[in-house]
Amino acid sequence: MQSISETLLYEISAVLLECQPDDNLVRVTPETEWFEYLFSASSLMDKYHIDKHLPFLSNFLIDAKEHWKQGKEGCINSGPWVEMYQGQELALEALALNFSRKHFILIKNLGETYLELSNTLQIARDNLLTAEKLEKELIKRNAMLKHREEQIALRLLAAADYRDEETGAHIQRIGLYSKAIATALNLNQDILENIQIAASMHDIGKIAIPDHILLKPGSFEPDELKQMRTHAELGAKMLKGTDIPLLNMGYSIAMNHHEKWDGTGYPNNLKGEQIPIEARIVAIVDVYDAMLSARPYKKPFSEDFVLQHMTENRGLHFDPNVFDTFLSILPEIRRIRSEVQ
Amino acid sequence: MIQKKICLIGAFSVGKTSLIRQFVESIFTEKYLTTVGVKIDKKVLELEEGPIKLMIWDLAGEDDYTEIRLPYLRGASGFIYVADGTRAETLTKIVDIQEHIDADFGRLPFVLAINKHDLIGEWEVKQSHIDHLHCKSWSIHKTSALTGESVDQLFTDLAQQMVKP
Repeated sequence: MQSISETLLYEISAVLLECQPDDNLVRVTPETEWFEYLFSASSLMDKYHIDKHLPFLSNFLIDAKEHWKQGKEGCINSGPWVEMYQGQELALEALALNFSRKHFILIKNLGETYLELSNTLQIARDNLLTAEKLEKELIKRNAMLKHREEQIALRLLAAADYRDEETGAHIQRIGLYSKAIATALNLNQDILENIQIAASMHDIGKIAIPDHILLKPGSFEPDELKQMRTHAELGAKMLKGTDIPLLNMGYSIAMNHHEKWDGTGYPNNLKGEQIPIEARIVAIVDVYDAMLSARPYKKPFSEDFVLQHMTENRGLHFDPNVFDTFLSILPEIRRIRSEVQ
Repeated sequence: MIQKKICLIGAFSVGKTSLIRQFVESIFTEKYLTTVGVKIDKKVLELEEGPIKLMIWDLAGEDDYTEIRLPYLRGASGFIYVADGTRAETLTKIVDIQEHIDADFGRLPFVLAINKHDLIGEWEVKQSHIDHLHCKSWSIHKTSALTGESVDQLFTDLAQQMVKP
């Protein structure tokens, strides 16, 4: 007569085996149809020798023996595995357990549990794949939008270029220098993405300065200087009022790139960290590149002279930390200058 | 007959089960059905050196080495790492997993399948990345479980590596 536990195990489609000292397994509960089918090749009377016929279980027995050897309480499980039975997939799981100093293997047919687990995992992974696709599409579309914004900004710059003595190369270099410094300063991704184009727009306001002042070969009269300095605010006004991050940064740079660390700059006499970081960067590279460049009214200065002059202005005109970073990446700055002429 | 255990490893939905089905049964199913646990298939390959029986362990897809149940890899003679050409990150992850397995199990023969070559227009994996792995002596196959492209070659390549004296 079967015990309650034997009946119970049979009902839940599980079979209990006891491991003998000779490594053979002896079945201690009634066999099920699937068990008989799968284990017939490994059986001799009621003993089972698990070998190459059941490679997964054979592999699990190594872990089971280790578990038994350690004499730990509780059980370890094999995780699910699948065998073919009557042309269908049969999902099984094995548990190895110690009980009353005896060693047991319980093999159970996961049945519906396995299907439920598969379905849950399937849904989760389908969702992950969909989310992955959507995220990639979003990144692609954002890149397209960003590209369009940059194209518009570059056209705007090209228009300004017609009126100014500053060359397209100077504008391009300012962008590249600024990005190099921002990267070295490890600034946030938003700044890194936008600063190259935004920095190039620093003098966009000069488009609104009359030719007789903008193109004057000599030094300015006080009135002319006052008018020339309005280019910062004029440029800022041109770029203000959009919700485009690139133009917002362009606004910030155009407005503030003539501010000085010690508060003596224009247009608002901002001081220290009141000046946005992107404008503090452009203040440095604009002076560096302008002093090294030839103009109708001046020859280029030597780099030694320029760096000496700028160093004297560290902490006066320039943010000392940003200036030090600029010096630390001078080889890269020089490479940009030599490549973009 | 020589018998060798091999394991297919890769992130979920890269096509491990489909590659095995194509190799063993010459069947491809469009619907993605996730693998839970382990399924073992067998196939005999005829090599110049003689027949070899492959015990092919299809492991559930995992993105991370720490999620792989290492006892499943015990006794393996070789590995097939699988990435999905349309998902670049699956290649990055499998390269990381390969390094861990190499460290933990010693250098065993392996091949890399970059699957879904039938979707070449949607591939994200860059040729430069593949070239970089070639330079590190990786044996790489651009496979398609759908069309069967390079699937037999993939398994044969690994089998040959495993029987090489």
